[in-house]
Amino acid sequence: MDFALLSRVQHFPVRHHSPRTTAVLQRWLERVKPDVVLVEGPCDATGMVDVLCDGQTRPPVAILGYRTDGTPASSLWPFAAYSPEYQALKWARANGARVEFIDIPVGVSLAVDRDAPGLGLEAEAMEGGTPAPDDTVPLTDAFARSQGYRSFEEFWEAAFEAPDWSPEQFRPVLLAWADVINAGPRQGYHRQRDAFMARKVLEVVAGGVAPEKVAVVAGAAHIAAFVANDVEPALEAKLPAGVPCAVTVIPFSFPRLAEQMGYGAGNRAPHFYQKAHDAHCDFRRATLEVLLDFASHLRVRGFSASLSDVLEAYRLAVMLSDLREKSAPGLDELREATVATLCRGDATHVDGFLWKSVIGHQVGQVASRIGQNSLQAEFWREVGERRLPRTDSPETFALRLNNEVEVGSSVFLHRLRVAGIPYATLSGTGTGSRSQATEAGGYAALTRVRESWQAQWTPSTDVALVEKIVLGDSLEGVTTRVLQERLNLAKTTAEAADVLLESVITGCPQTVASALRACDAHAATDADLPSLASAARALSGLMAYGTSRAHSEVGDEAVASLGEKTFGRALLRVREASACDAEAVPRVLEALRTLHEVALSQPRADKAGWYVEARGLMESHAVHPATSGLATGLLYLARELPESDVALEVGRRLSLAVEPADAAAYLEGFLQVNALVLVKSREVVKALDDFLCGVEPERFVQTLPVLRRALGTLGATERRYLMENVMGVRQLKDKGRAVKAVLEQKDKETLKDMSAELGKALDDLDDLL
Amino acid sequence: MSDRVDSVQSMPDIRLPAEAKYKNELDALAAHDDKPRPPGWALSPRAVETYILGSPKPVGGVTITPKYVGDRGIVQVCIATLASDRALMLVGEPGTAKSWLSEHLSAAVSGTSGLVVQGTAGTSEDHIKYSWNYALLLAQGPSPEALVPSPILRAMRTGKFARFEEVTRTSPEIQDSLISILSEKQVSVPELGEITSAQRGFNLIATANTRDRGVNEMSAALKRRFNFVTVPVVEDLEQEIQIVTKREAELRTDYQVGVPPPEELSRVLLTLFQELRKGVTKDGKTKVRTPGAVLSTAEAISVLFNSAILAQQFGSGTVTSQELAASLVGAVVKEQEDDVKALREYMETVAKGRPGPWKDLYTASKKLLRG
Repeated sequence: MDFALLSRVQHFPVRHHSPRTTAVLQRWLERVKPDVVLVEGPCDATGMVDVLCDGQTRPPVAILGYRTDGTPASSLWPFAAYSPEYQALKWARANGARVEFIDIPVGVSLAVDRDAPGLGLEAEAMEGGTPAPDDTVPLTDAFARSQGYRSFEEFWEAAFEAPDWSPEQFRPVLLAWADVINAGPRQGYHRQRDAFMARKVLEVVAGGVAPEKVAVVAGAAHIAAFVANDVEPALEAKLPAGVPCAVTVIPFSFPRLAEQMGYGAGNRAPHFYQKAHDAHCDFRRATLEVLLDFASHLRVRGFSASLSDVLEAYRLAVMLSDLREKSAPGLDELREATVATLCRGDATHVDGFLWKSVIGHQVGQVASRIGQNSLQAEFWREVGERRLPRTDSPETFALRLNNEVEVGSSVFLHRLRVAGIPYATLSGTGTGSRSQATEAGGYAALTRVRESWQAQWTPSTDVALVEKIVLGDSLEGVTTRVLQERLNLAKTTAEAADVLLESVITGCPQTVASALRACDAHAATDADLPSLASAARALSGLMAYGTSRAHSEVGDEAVASLGEKTFGRALLRVREASACDAEAVPRVLEALRTLHEVALSQPRADKAGWYVEARGLMESHAVHPATSGLATGLLYLARELPESDVALEVGRRLSLAVEPADAAAYLEGFLQVNALVLVKSREVVKALDDFLCGVEPERFVQTLPVLRRALGTLGATERRYLMENVMGVRQLKDKGRAVKAVLEQKDKETLKDMSAELGKALDDLDDLL
Repeated sequence: MSDRVDSVQSMPDIRLPAEAKYKNELDALAAHDDKPRPPGWALSPRAVETYILGSPKPVGGVTITPKYVGDRGIVQVCIATLASDRALMLVGEPGTAKSWLSEHLSAAVSGTSGLVVQGTAGTSEDHIKYSWNYALLLAQGPSPEALVPSPILRAMRTGKFARFEEVTRTSPEIQDSLISILSEKQVSVPELGEITSAQRGFNLIATANTRDRGVNEMSAALKRRFNFVTVPVVEDLEQEIQIVTKREAELRTDYQVGVPPPEELSRVLLTLFQELRKGVTKDGKTKVRTPGAVLSTAEAISVLFNSAILAQQFGSGTVTSQELAASLVGAVVKEQEDDVKALREYMETVAKGRPGPWKDLYTASKKLLRG
C-alpha cells in the first residue's frame, strides 16, 4: 500500500467538541466538496450514521459499544451538535457524499486494557503521550500557564475558539498545536490507531476515489501524524483481537459531557458552547445570552438583577477580554463579570446555582428508527406514562401507595433498583424530618404508605439498560433473574426471606414462589436464631401487609403457615442461642426483640410459647445475663410480669452476691427495652442505687464500660425521672434545689422544641387538608 | 490647595504616598506606554496592571516591583471596572490589602492617592460634597472662594480618582449622597447657583469591611452604582510569606528601626496564622480553635515588624522566638479572654510537638500565656 498517497488526501484536524473547529470545518467542506468523508470513530459504527443524522435525533447523543459475551464493559463516543465529527457526518449526508468511520472497531477498543474502559474519549486526554502522574502538571496546562493563562481550557478558548479563523489559517495553527502535543512520546496505542486509520483511508483511495476527493476529519494529533507521514503500518498488528460486541446510539447529556475533561474530550460548559455554536461562533453574543439567563435565574430566586446590571456585566466581560488581549470573552471573563456586578462580589450564587446553567442539563434524543432494545423501550414508555423525571438533574417526588397507579410506579422503581439500573434512589418515607435514612427495600418497604424518591436520568441509565438485556427482555425478567441468582447464593433463612420480600416489592411472582420454598428448606436446618427471627419478621410482615402489593398465586395461606412454622422453629432455638458469649450478644438481643415484636403483632404466632421461653430466660442463670435482663424487660412491657415482681427480680439480679459484671450486663439488657418504666419505679431505682454503692472500687472500674453503655441509652426524659427518683430515695428534697433548677430549665427547652414541632405538624396537617 | 506631591518631597514624612514612593516606576511606565489610555488616565490599563502586579522584565531600566501579590484576575477586574462608568467597591476581611490596592490604583491612574474620605460614624454630607469657610462666608456671602470642596469634589473637578475608605461605617443616609454623584457625575451647589460636573477620568474606589460588627448595610440603589471585587484572604503559605517579608522590610526602611527577622521565623509565624485562621493544621490532622481576633496578613506584618523592633531595642539584636512570642500574644489576644485559651491550646497541641523554632516559641509563649 502506498503510504505516500496519505499526504495527498484532504485532511482536517479537529479538537473534539469545539464550536470554532466545527464552524471552520463546515466552510472547509463547502470549498473542498469531497466525495468521501472519513471521520474518526469506531468503523463498525458506520451503520449508525443514518441514525445520527436522522431528523429526529437531537444531540447530545453517543455511540455506545458494549460487550455481548457476558462481561460487563462498554465505551461511549459522545457527540454534541457543535462537535466537528457530528457536523462532518451531517454535511456528508446533506451533500450526498459517502461517509464512514475509520477508527478501530469497538470490540478492539474494548479489548485494549485501559484504566478507564468505560469512557472511550477520555483516553484522548492522554493523546500526545502526556501521561500525567497525579502530582505533575499535564503538559497542556504547563504550556497554558507559560503563556499567562490560568488553565489549558482558558488558553484554548482565547487562542483557538474566540478568533474568527479562516480554514487556511486554522489548519496550520491546529497542526502546529498538535506538534507541540506530539513532542512528547506518543503512546503505542495511539500509534497503532494511526496505522489502522491510515490503512482505512488508503483502502478508500485504492477503491478508486481520487485522493483529492477524500476528506479525513480526525483528532489533530492523528492528522499531524498523517501529514508528517509518521505512520508505522506494522504497528497495526499489535492491536489486540476484538471481543464480541454490539453498537447502538443512546441519548447523552450536557452534564456528562462536562465531566469528561482533558485535551480533546468534553468541555467545561456545554450549554455556553451550544449557544456560541447557535450564534455562529459569536462568543460575545453567547456571553450576553448567558448573562441574561443568569439575571433571570437571580430574579426567580428573589435577588435583584436589573437590565443595567446585565449590560454592565457584559461591558466588564468585554473590557476584561480586551485587557487580556482576547478577541472575545470566554468563560473566565463571564464568571468574573458576573461575580463583580450581578452578584456584588459574592461568588456563592455563581457556585451555588448559576454555573449549572452554563453547563446545562439537556438530554439528547435518538430517532425512533434505531432499534431501541426492549428494556430501553419499556423504560422510556414507563417513564413517559408515569410522568417520571427525564432530565439530567436530580428531581424529587413522592408516591402515595394507596392507588394502583402509584404502587405500579413504586414497583417499577424498585425493579430498577434491584436490577442495578441507576436512575432513582429512595430518599425517605416522606413523613417529615423524623424519618431516618431507611433501607430502600426489605421489611421497611412493606410497611410504607408513602415513598419519596430522587430520580435523575444519566447516560449510564441507558448504558445499563443496554447491558442488562442479556439477563432478560423485560424489566420483570431482569429483576426475576437477578433475584433468582441472589436466592441461589443465599445460605441462611434470613437471606432467603430478604429475596422473598424483594420479590413481593418488585412484583415478581416467580421468585416469590421459589423464595418461599427456599425459606422453608433453610429454616429446617438453620440453627442461627437471628436469621430465623428476621425471617419470621419478614413473613409476618408479608402476612400483615402483603395483600396491598401484587401477590403471587401461591396465596396468603402458604406464607402464613410458613411464617407460623418459622416462628416455632425460632422459639426452639432461643434458649440455646442465649447461652452465648459477649460478642454474639447484640445480635441475639436484636433477635429476641424481633421475636417479641412478631409475637405481639402477628395473631398467628405462638404468643404463649414465646412467653414461656422468655420466662425461662428470665429465670435461667445459664444464659447470658443481658438476655435475662432483656426478657425481664419484655415480659414487664407486655404486662406479663407485675411491677412488684420486677423490682424483686431486678433486686435479685443486682444483689451483691452476683458478679458485678453480670449485674451490669443484666442491667444493660433490661434498660434496652423500657428504661422509662424502670426509672419510674422507686423500688427498682433503690435496688440500682444500692447496687452501685455496694460495688467495690476496683470492680466498679471493671464494670464501668458496660454500665456506661447501659445508662447511655437513657433519653433526657428518662434521666429526669431517674434523677427525681434518686432524690426521693436519698431524701434530698431540700438540698436538691440546684438539681431541680437544672431540671426545670431542661423542661422549658423541651417544651419549646415540642411547640415548634407541634407547629410544624399542624402546618403539615393544613397542607394535607 | 497646593499639589500634595510637592509638599511631600520637601518634607520627610514617615510614610510617603504611593505616587511619591514609586515615582520612578510610574514615570518609566508612562514613558514606555504605547497602549491607548482612557481619557484622563495617566497610564493605559495594561501599564496599570504591570505597575500593580510587577514585571519580571525591567521597564526602561526600572524594575517594577509587585505591589499586590495575588490573583491577576482580581486586579484586571478592578482596572476594567475603573475604566467604565461604574465605581469600584473592594470588599473583604480586614487586613487583606483593600486600602493598599485602592491607594496604588489611584496613584497609577490619577497620579495621586491623596483624595481620600475616611468613612466614620461622624462622616457628614459636607465631607462628601462641600462645606464653607465660615469667616469668608459671613464676610462676603456665598462665593466660590468661600467654598471648601471635599476630596470627592476636587477629584471631580480635576478628573481624578477619589477614594472612600470604610463606606459601611458611615450612616446609610450619608452613604446615599454618593448615589447622585455616581450616577449623574455632578454636584450642584445651590448657594452659588452652579453645578460642578465631573471631568473625564473621575471615578471612585470605595472599600468596605465584611467582618465589622455594626456596619451599615448599603442601600440597593447605591450598590447598583458599584462593581464589587472581593479581595481574598491569602491562603497560599509561600505567597503570604513573600508578602509579609517584603512589606515588613519596607516598614523597617521607612521607619529606620528594627533588625531583619530570620526567614524560618516568618514561616513559623505565617503557618501559625494560617492554621489558626482555618481551624485545622496544615496536615489536616489536628483541629485547633479559631480565635475571635482578626488574623490578617496585615496583622502578621505588624507582628513581625514589632518583633524586629523588640529585638533591636530590648533584645540581643537578632529576632528570636522570644520576641515573636511577645508580639504574637499582643496581637492575637486583644480583648477576649477566650483568645488566650485558643492560643494556649494551639501551643500545647501543635507547637509543642514540632521541632526547631516551634519548640522555642512554645517555651517562650508558655510564660506569657500563663494566667
